[in-house]
Amino acid sequence: MDFHFEIVQDYMPFFLKGMALTVGVSLAGVLIGLLLGLLIALGKMSSNQWVRLPFNIYINVFRGTPLLVQLLIIHFGIVPLFMAQSNPVVSLVIGLSLNSAAYIAEIFRAGIQSIDKGQMEAARSLGMTRVQAMKLVILPQAVKRVIPPLGNEFIVLLKESSLGSVLAAPELMYWGQAAAGQYIRVWEPYLTVALIYLVLTLSLTYLMNYIERRMKTDDLR
Amino acid sequence: MISVKHLKKSFGDNEVLKDISIDVNPQEVVVVIGPSGSGKSTFIRCLNMLESINGGHVVIDGKDLTDKKTNINEIRTNVGMVFQHFNLFPHKTILDNITLAPINVRGMNKKEAEEKAMVLLAKVGLAEKASAYPDSLSGGQKQRVAIARALAMEPKVMLFDEPTSALDPEMVGEVLEVMKQLAKDGMTMIVVTHEMGFAREVGDRVVFMDNGYIVEENEPKALFDDPKHERTKAFLSKVL
Repeated sequence: MDFHFEIVQDYMPFFLKGMALTVGVSLAGVLIGLLLGLLIALGKMSSNQWVRLPFNIYINVFRGTPLLVQLLIIHFGIVPLFMAQSNPVVSLVIGLSLNSAAYIAEIFRAGIQSIDKGQMEAARSLGMTRVQAMKLVILPQAVKRVIPPLGNEFIVLLKESSLGSVLAAPELMYWGQAAAGQYIRVWEPYLTVALIYLVLTLSLTYLMNYIERRMKTDDLR
Repeated sequence: MISVKHLKKSFGDNEVLKDISIDVNPQEVVVVIGPSGSGKSTFIRCLNMLESINGGHVVIDGKDLTDKKTNINEIRTNVGMVFQHFNLFPHKTILDNITLAPINVRGMNKKEAEEKAMVLLAKVGLAEKASAYPDSLSGGQKQRVAIARALAMEPKVMLFDEPTSALDPEMVGEVLEVMKQLAKDGMTMIVVTHEMGFAREVGDRVVFMDNGYIVEENEPKALFDDPKHERTKAFLSKVL
């Protein structure tokens, strides 16, 4: 097998641009997903089953259907209803956000429910409202416990953002395919793209481990 | 102060409290004893609605807890509770544990809340632990902090749900000592406990519960030395 480094060299500016977009949409997806996910988690924990229902449906739909299908529906079906010119990057961010929100909601719910029931009881017995108890007592403790699974979700999301290539969003995978198409080569573009994804996810793993360690030592003050 | 009338509570088909009626006067110390499963913990948890009430009435300081219009959060600020497992907030320092509710619920300013917390900590003998985290405290210390935390809201009543049951034996004394002092200061207290010595010494009245009913209640001396009911006799013969 001969490996043409000049192809990699040729496309490097595009790969780097694509990488920046991959990081950008993943970050946007996970941040919006965090916000939506927290709201969905709280909604799903309501004591009223009618309030719970829509949140349950949301989680089941977004976890139960492929992200690719969701992206296609969002990009070609839903976004055009609101925007004259649908933009693949916008659609990709919407899709990643809505999808990750479902997973993150479940991560939050598990984290919140893992906090001892006595914490809520103690807070309420001091006269705090449910919302105050959540904000001041439960969530600060839950956040530490959800860091590892959230890191996991971030890594999954970063890899899944490659599906944006199907919408022609110019992220990393898109440029990989473009290079493969132009040179009719497999190894150079795809191995390079794979390597860049690996560098991204490994950096992320390292970052998450670091945050986790910091949180742990915080406990031992 | 507290008036309980025909209180009923079930968990599913399991009727835990069948018909509880009792009045507690201001500054009175009522000690509730009874075998496990008798409903005494559930009873005390109903008094600040940590358990919903299925029937009857609980009136605290003139307000009926079962009335939908009653603001339960407001009632709870007047009813302090101490739990078997302390339930301190592990992410907060001891000082912050105590000031959290006064600042956020009572709207007290931070400085005032902290000054008051320090007074309370000194009272339970833990002033030097103010900046420590709960994890670094012994069980007995944790429970004393929990008592200080409840007192910071200046409650009119204190509820104790088996406050010494999770403690190593050598730490029981320090917690009971704080409770004794509290009783001496004139706090209205309801105490669920297995500490018969405390019941006898500090209680104004001892209530024996079994199987969801109050079987017998009397002054400590009378109840311990001359129980009227067979079940009370049987229970006391096992624990004394």
